[in-house]
Amino acid sequence: MCIVIANAVRQSHNLSVINVLLIGVIRMNVVEIENITKTFGALKAVDDLSLNVPQGSIYGFIGPNGSGKTTTLRMIMNIIYPDSGKIRIFDKEMRGTASERIGYLPEERGMYKKMKVRELLRFYGELKSGRKVNKEVDYWLDKLDLSDWADKKIETLSKGMGQKVQFISTVVSQPELIILDEPFTGLDPVNVETIKNAVLELRTQGATVIFSTHDMNVAENMCDFIFMIFKGKKVLDGTLVSIQDKYGSDTLRVRTEGGISTLKNLDGVEKIADFGQLQELRIAPDNDHQKILSEIMSRTRVYSFELAKPTLYDIFLRIAGPEAKEETDA
Amino acid sequence: MRRVFRMVKREYLASVKTKAFIIMLVLMPVLMGGSGIAMYLLRGQVDTTDKQVTVLDRSGIVADMLLKAVEERNKSAVYDKKTRKKIQPAYIIDISKPDEKDPQAQRLRLSDRIRLGELHAFLEIGPNVRHPEGEQSTFSIKYHAKNAAVDNIRNWLNNTINPYLRKVRIKDAGVDESKADEIMAWLQVEAMGLVSVDEETGEIKEAKRTSEAEAFLVPVILFFLMFMLVMMGAMPLLQTTMEEKTQRIAEVLLGCLKPHEFMAGKVIGGLAVSLTVAFIYIIGGIFFLGKIGLKDFIPFYIIPWFFIFLVLEIVMLGSLLAALGSACNDPKDAQNLTFPAMIPVFFPMFIFMPILQEPTSSFATWLSLFPPFTPMLMLIRKAAPVGIPAWQPWVGLVGVVLFTAFVVWVGGRIFRIGILMQGGAPKLSNMIKWAIRG
Repeated sequence: MCIVIANAVRQSHNLSVINVLLIGVIRMNVVEIENITKTFGALKAVDDLSLNVPQGSIYGFIGPNGSGKTTTLRMIMNIIYPDSGKIRIFDKEMRGTASERIGYLPEERGMYKKMKVRELLRFYGELKSGRKVNKEVDYWLDKLDLSDWADKKIETLSKGMGQKVQFISTVVSQPELIILDEPFTGLDPVNVETIKNAVLELRTQGATVIFSTHDMNVAENMCDFIFMIFKGKKVLDGTLVSIQDKYGSDTLRVRTEGGISTLKNLDGVEKIADFGQLQELRIAPDNDHQKILSEIMSRTRVYSFELAKPTLYDIFLRIAGPEAKEETDA
Repeated sequence: MRRVFRMVKREYLASVKTKAFIIMLVLMPVLMGGSGIAMYLLRGQVDTTDKQVTVLDRSGIVADMLLKAVEERNKSAVYDKKTRKKIQPAYIIDISKPDEKDPQAQRLRLSDRIRLGELHAFLEIGPNVRHPEGEQSTFSIKYHAKNAAVDNIRNWLNNTINPYLRKVRIKDAGVDESKADEIMAWLQVEAMGLVSVDEETGEIKEAKRTSEAEAFLVPVILFFLMFMLVMMGAMPLLQTTMEEKTQRIAEVLLGCLKPHEFMAGKVIGGLAVSLTVAFIYIIGGIFFLGKIGLKDFIPFYIIPWFFIFLVLEIVMLGSLLAALGSACNDPKDAQNLTFPAMIPVFFPMFIFMPILQEPTSSFATWLSLFPPFTPMLMLIRKAAPVGIPAWQPWVGLVGVVLFTAFVVWVGGRIFRIGILMQGGAPKLSNMIKWAIRG
């Protein structure tokens, strides 16, 4: 039902109607993953993973390199199959089939270098949708400021332009589910902004977007849900707020006269991150931040302070950084 | 199906819409007939410098004849009659007395003169050439030159001395000298086809003289055309699949197509390229031969078989090569697999001559019924003037259809896994595992 509405909405291109409808409908899950496991030789790339992606959401996949993000995305795409467990896309198990309802941007760009931009986009679009996509190609070329390059060969494009072309090839067939593996890697800030806006627009039109990224800021700002995978296992899944709530307000940001040198050996502080003019202190569980602040004030002059929830970047490092590795090793 | 068709279209246009394809289309017949054309064009390119040959005649009967013969030859063969341009070297025969005391020293002196460029060759004629009896060295004729084995003068000497000596021997036997030519007349055994009944008139038709063109050229041209078309349609699949894999295009395509659709698109695209070229050459060939009045040489009966076997060969090899390409991770891997993968076309190339000479031998029959070789070998047997039993092409066809289906099935299973497998050289054991497990 939701998909039908979403399709109708996307075709109408009427944003106000879209917003109203999307708010009004009860979201179903576009992707349902149940206990999937994938092993390559001795390596368990994905281990007993379950995940639901609601329709119309932007779902961010984060995790260190080699943690299983791409493998999971490829399994959703049906390019590889899980050894065990189930994946349901649009409420159907789709093993062995390629769906025209899904658009996929792989991590490493794959384009025929000798083809011209417009020709390549039409080819990918027609291959995916089985219909002519000439209008859509021109629309996206114009939108991403690539019209002047439409008749140039792929091999003449810069990396950023190539990436934009690959992005268009993913969305030109108007898929309902868009899977983007590292869509912002290698892009300059202007192009990051362009792609971000395009993704947000697609979501507004009803598409569901899953993307993996190493940019925690992008994940924080764009995603409705964040999923983190580490060593093949799910370690985080939920909205940013719910994830941050798990960790509580355990971060004290201070700006002092003495800087980092005056903050050493504070009782109840697990870790200090020094940003030069600003320091972030992680408060150990069951410690009072007021006491710590008093101790700092007794040592130096405090210009400003803030009790905050950890950022996604910080949470990422706590799970997958060297500190976590030391804990695991111990 | 629409997606496969779109993939086929891309593969086809990517090959056909290139300058290289057009150039190849024009150049290929030129290259195929290149040696003949080159020989024709270069026929006048001979060294016309006069050639001096010293003759040591121990028989005492050949030297004078040679002097007369060379004079005749130089009068008629050295200059073009119309243009008076020198087209052949004049031969200069120089008769020397054999040194019986130290023949080796004389040979060395003459050899040194050849090395210095003063002399082209020297000829030693044994004493007993008139009646070759006794020790062989006494009736041998030896021609010494820098490149004696392929020297035209040696051929001329051969064709001049031998008929003369035969005539001398006939005369010595007491036969009238005027009968010598008749005695020595050489009659050629003519190659004739089989007598048949004219379907329209019911009359028995004269057997046709079979020419070398019919017996040899037609099967060989079709055989080489098929080889070329296979190289053009199937061979690139190994390389292009490997490139699509390493350039990550395959991953994008697999987001749009099922693996077997992807492979089918590539193979059918390659097939379409080959069929385009085949149609152009065959229709062009028929038109050309018709124009120059050689329509009778066109083997219409073999053309459907040619296309059937061509399609099967390309589908079979194309699937195999695409599967192997999917297992490769760099050009070196692909290069290493090229030769073994092309055995079904290379092996028939090595053995086509004996098969063409004896198309009904059991060696030819059994090999042509072995499915990987059937398309090429059955075609050449069928095209040969010697008829093969009618059931054999059909049995071969059934075998090759089944084998092709098997290769496509196995290739598809290897392709599905190989195309996403990164790192490591392709191993036969892995490919067998992929084919079995799917």
